[in-house]
Amino acid sequence: MRRFNPVSVVFVVLCVVGWRCSGLSATFILNEVTIRFIRDGIMVLALLIPIAAGMGINFAVTLGATAAQVGVLVVVDRQIGGPAGLLLALCIGVCLSIVVGCAVGYALNRVKGKEMIATIVMGFLGTSLYQLVFMAGYGALIPSHNREILLSRGIGVRNMVDLHAFRNTIDQYWTVTAGGVQFPVFMILAVFCTAFVIVYVMNTPLGQRFKAVGENREKAELLGIDVDRTRIRAIVLSTVLACLGQIVFLQNIGMLNVYTAHLKTDIFSSAALLAGGATIEKAGVRHAFLGILLFHALFIVSPQAGQNVFGNAALGEYFRSFVAYGTIAFALILNVRHARRAPNAAAPGDADAV
Amino acid sequence: MGKISARARAGGFHPPQIIILSFVAVMMAVAVFLKIDVKTILGDSLVRLAMNGVLVLSLVPMFNAGIGLNFGLPVGIVAGLLGMCLAVNFRITGLSGFLSAMLFSVPIGVLSGGLYSRILNRVGGREEIAATFVGFSFVCLMNLFWATAPFGNPVMLWPIGGHGMRPTIGLQNYFGKALNDLWSVSVSGIRVPVGLLLSFCLLGLLLHLFLRTRIGRALQAVGENETFAALSGIDVRGVRTLAVILSTVLGAWGICFYAQSYGFIELYDAPLMMAFPAASALLIGGASGGRTTIAQVVLGTYLFQTTYILSAPIANELLIPEAAEILRMIVTNCVILYALLHRGGVREA
Amino acid sequence: MPTGKDRLVVSVGRAKPLPTLLAKYSATSLGVQPLPVMPAFAGMTIGFRIPFPTARNQGVSTMLRIGNLTKAFGAEEALKSVSMEIEAGEIHGLVGVNGSGKSTLLNILFGNPAIGRTGGYSGAIYLDGERANISRPSHAVRLGIGMIHQEFALIPGLTVSENIKMGREKVCRFSERVLGRSFSRLDHRRNREDARLTLGRMGIDIDPGTYVSDLSISMKQFVEIAREVDNPELKVLLLDEPTAALNREDSFALMEILKDLARRGAAILYVSHRLEEVVSLCERISVLRDGEISAVFSRAEFDADAIAENMIGRKFLRVSRASRDCSGEPVAVSMRDFSVDMPGERLRGVNLDVRSGEILGVTGLSGHGKLALGVGIMGLFPSRGNVSIKGRLLEKRCASQVISNGVAFLPEDRRTMGLLLDHSVMDNIVFSAVQNKGRFLRRFPLSSLRFLDRKKARLYAEECVGKLGIKCRSVFQKVKELSGGNQQKVCIARSLALEPEILFISEPTRGIDIGAKEIILDILVKINARQGTTIIMASSELEEMRRLCDRIAVLYRGAVFDVLPPGCDDKLLARRCCGEKERAGPAAER
Repeated sequence: MRRFNPVSVVFVVLCVVGWRCSGLSATFILNEVTIRFIRDGIMVLALLIPIAAGMGINFAVTLGATAAQVGVLVVVDRQIGGPAGLLLALCIGVCLSIVVGCAVGYALNRVKGKEMIATIVMGFLGTSLYQLVFMAGYGALIPSHNREILLSRGIGVRNMVDLHAFRNTIDQYWTVTAGGVQFPVFMILAVFCTAFVIVYVMNTPLGQRFKAVGENREKAELLGIDVDRTRIRAIVLSTVLACLGQIVFLQNIGMLNVYTAHLKTDIFSSAALLAGGATIEKAGVRHAFLGILLFHALFIVSPQAGQNVFGNAALGEYFRSFVAYGTIAFALILNVRHARRAPNAAAPGDADAV
Repeated sequence: MGKISARARAGGFHPPQIIILSFVAVMMAVAVFLKIDVKTILGDSLVRLAMNGVLVLSLVPMFNAGIGLNFGLPVGIVAGLLGMCLAVNFRITGLSGFLSAMLFSVPIGVLSGGLYSRILNRVGGREEIAATFVGFSFVCLMNLFWATAPFGNPVMLWPIGGHGMRPTIGLQNYFGKALNDLWSVSVSGIRVPVGLLLSFCLLGLLLHLFLRTRIGRALQAVGENETFAALSGIDVRGVRTLAVILSTVLGAWGICFYAQSYGFIELYDAPLMMAFPAASALLIGGASGGRTTIAQVVLGTYLFQTTYILSAPIANELLIPEAAEILRMIVTNCVILYALLHRGGVREA
Repeated sequence: MPTGKDRLVVSVGRAKPLPTLLAKYSATSLGVQPLPVMPAFAGMTIGFRIPFPTARNQGVSTMLRIGNLTKAFGAEEALKSVSMEIEAGEIHGLVGVNGSGKSTLLNILFGNPAIGRTGGYSGAIYLDGERANISRPSHAVRLGIGMIHQEFALIPGLTVSENIKMGREKVCRFSERVLGRSFSRLDHRRNREDARLTLGRMGIDIDPGTYVSDLSISMKQFVEIAREVDNPELKVLLLDEPTAALNREDSFALMEILKDLARRGAAILYVSHRLEEVVSLCERISVLRDGEISAVFSRAEFDADAIAENMIGRKFLRVSRASRDCSGEPVAVSMRDFSVDMPGERLRGVNLDVRSGEILGVTGLSGHGKLALGVGIMGLFPSRGNVSIKGRLLEKRCASQVISNGVAFLPEDRRTMGLLLDHSVMDNIVFSAVQNKGRFLRRFPLSSLRFLDRKKARLYAEECVGKLGIKCRSVFQKVKELSGGNQQKVCIARSLALEPEILFISEPTRGIDIGAKEIILDILVKINARQGTTIIMASSELEEMRRLCDRIAVLYRGAVFDVLPPGCDDKLLARRCCGEKERAGPAAER
């Protein structure tokens, strides 16, 4: 009973049109898309489990990304480089993500049915707290061990922190070049591995609980499932994966925009997922992969297309922002499964007794 | 199951109010201690009350109709921006410029509000998050418009190239501060913008009276108990549409008040996050359960804006200048999050 | 007569599928069914039986004991000191009319969170000798209590085997040792096998890989049961109207399965309205009335009439009214093939004529549609068919149209549908009249923007308070502070302000104490007598309707089953509600 999702088709059309207008070569686009795939792949995959558990889009993945950045800043502060530093940053980030995930999950259990607006606000709040700590606390309450990242006035981390210590530590492994396009096989496999882990988890008793809770909270409760704990677990998993995804992202880019790197992760990841044909209620790995390709391809070609067609590259940029927000708005407007007046209605054919 | 404690229901103070009140009291004490000029602060707070107050007022119709907090306020704001641009384009200055801006915003607000309400009527239960993204998308869509807009007045356009609007348009020669300066009086060193305050109060009064008319009562009923309203013969869909259009038009007027007071029209991404401080102000005033009064709007806006004003000099002295903005964001989001958690999720049968 | 305990257990070499087997037997010879055993699983069946739950002590013992269970929802007492004992291996029936407390009892036993949210319960529950404090369904399931819900606790997007094995899935042992149970890999093959076995033992032929959303209603019911049958730790099984969605054949199949479960040592609590089934299946039957156990019948004493009488009881009569024959009057409301799509209370083709000036009672079991009548006409749920008011066909069934045709409606759920709790008494009383008829408004060109004429409204409200005896401090008091009876009076006053010719009212005295009940009924009688208002009263209080109504229509499965005179027999009325009509052939009961 798969309903035909027009969103992916629209994206394909837009991509093709944009590609033609931009005049960029296919090789260039493929290269860029591959890089984005490994950079953002895990972050998009992090959104899958909360959707399966019926909690909609987890906009609080921003908090997982923030946790990763905290880990990275701590490591940079102590000037630990190389793979060891990366690993340590990851550990710190994951620990923090688990704590944050539990808090978010606990809060979301109080707003069942309105999770998405809550996660967006939590994302904003977390971001502000993070900014406060590192802009006003670092150097003052938190002793600084690295003068390089400290602002000249003595308080606050610089806007940009160079991550040369672990730039591209792992993503240059096993690069295969084919037809002008570079494929960093190790990283691609890493993304596939994460996808595999998610598929595996959905095939465990825990995954069954996620599915049951995602379909119908009340019935899952009657089946003996601890709905609240299951939901918290879904959010924790999601946040941890987001943290991992941000670490991969940062080591690929090679520098950290301390106050802005995490800002639009939730929007772009969810837009990408939805572009691949996922909905607020149902999302799979294939949607994630297809979505990243389509969404980022459009992202890449838009400015140039705007320049060529309208003489204004900014138009292309505005257009792609609109596409990102618009995709999410569209997904929220469509697919309203539960009618407003009947909170626990039986499905249409249910009570039709003989 | 979101329950409001009996104490709060009885008309007392909610936790957000208590927190903010104590926050403001502490900040005032600190300000006095740091010898910051309190008189200018008071004068400023009155201006900011009216300047931001209309935006907060605009949230009331939708909130009372049970549609939740209007995070799609950017839709109304954009309508207002268009209205103001038209007024500037036609080179109308002074108070008449301001009033024409408000006039032009009305049809635009009604049209976009109508469209917006159709979207909201579809989403049932998810209005707030859908409104957020509709608002965001609309702002981004308008960016395309601003970048190619066919307005004539060079003051609005990029100096180089002459194509596309400036992100910030100065209103000194048009209606900037027009209302602020109207009938402004000095009372023992505090500058009281009487004209501005009066217009804000007038709008507040009109809204208050509207809520007591027949259709206003229908709106309150829809907000309190939609099933009851439907059973009582009220056209629920129509009332909700009216509430959304009203909120949108008031939002448009709200940005007119804001811009004339600030002295600049800010285009492009400026309206993106404007809904959140307004929502926060409403919640601080004690709004809950769909029975917001105008008094709550005034109280909430005043407290919120005072926090804003006090935060800057205090942050300057104690922390760092940027901390002020961050603190404001924290306060805003904390209040909204608290309200969301307190209200609970979808009401169970 | 053969009882459940002394049935023959016959192993059949090559058994036919269960339904065919049963088809050969009619209801009368229900007691002599051989136990069908599927040959391929014969060996497995025996193997299944070994690690079964047995009662602590060998032999007959009490599996479930309830002592002085009391539960009140606010001021309303749903259960008053209920005590019950069910032995291991016993099928115990529980009957009672709507509102007698059956659902509350089941909710407490299964740990429905709504019980905890509304103040918990007092009393003790002993499961297999040990005291149990059940707070959540997951807790109940862990203790070995299973429940068959009326609305099926099935996940439509999962397969049959996934639903059956929910919470008890078989996993790969290696992954379980390494990663723990939550993260171990599901063994789909073994899960499907288990599900197939269970279904086979029940004699049901469903592919375990089918998605539940693709199943018919009766098949869903069986999967729901299979889930509990599959549970080797099952000690107590609670069933809530399990045969509501089944035809006769499937009902027999179900009863066989239950008898099998009982043989395995589970204690079964069987709640149903179908007296015929309860009587044939159960060893003992408890009758709940008004929150108390009014009688317990054991097999030897079974008598459907006596049970029905116990369910209803006799009440002290006060308000009553001589019924009238209104067949000569013009038709006030006419329904042809009226169907309403209200989840849980569907109407399927109601044909009814209500005469002007009469008081018509509409009754039936819950779920059979009587509550859908009023809300369906008011347009709250989608509906089909034709409804005419005073001879004029209603094209669009929406509240404003209906109200403008002279109809007023009082919903059964006052608090969530009938009142604006945060508004004052005055505001509530004049609300509908203000919105629909424009009464109590000041003059102003635009009718939508008119203000309330507070003086007029206040005077009218005070008049209503006096006439109906509404106890409140003033007309400005918030309605939520009033008692149930007074809130109902406010609702009535609001309807009267519309000056209706026809009044639909659902459950007029629900949740109201005895004294106030009589007053409400008296008000209704007076409205009918003085203004000639036609009243259509949907209620489950049979004796109230017999006192007031000119005719009583019985709804069964969403259609009008019979229309009876108010003077008819109590038991006849109760039996009509259960869908039993006297048949020309051999008697239905033994």
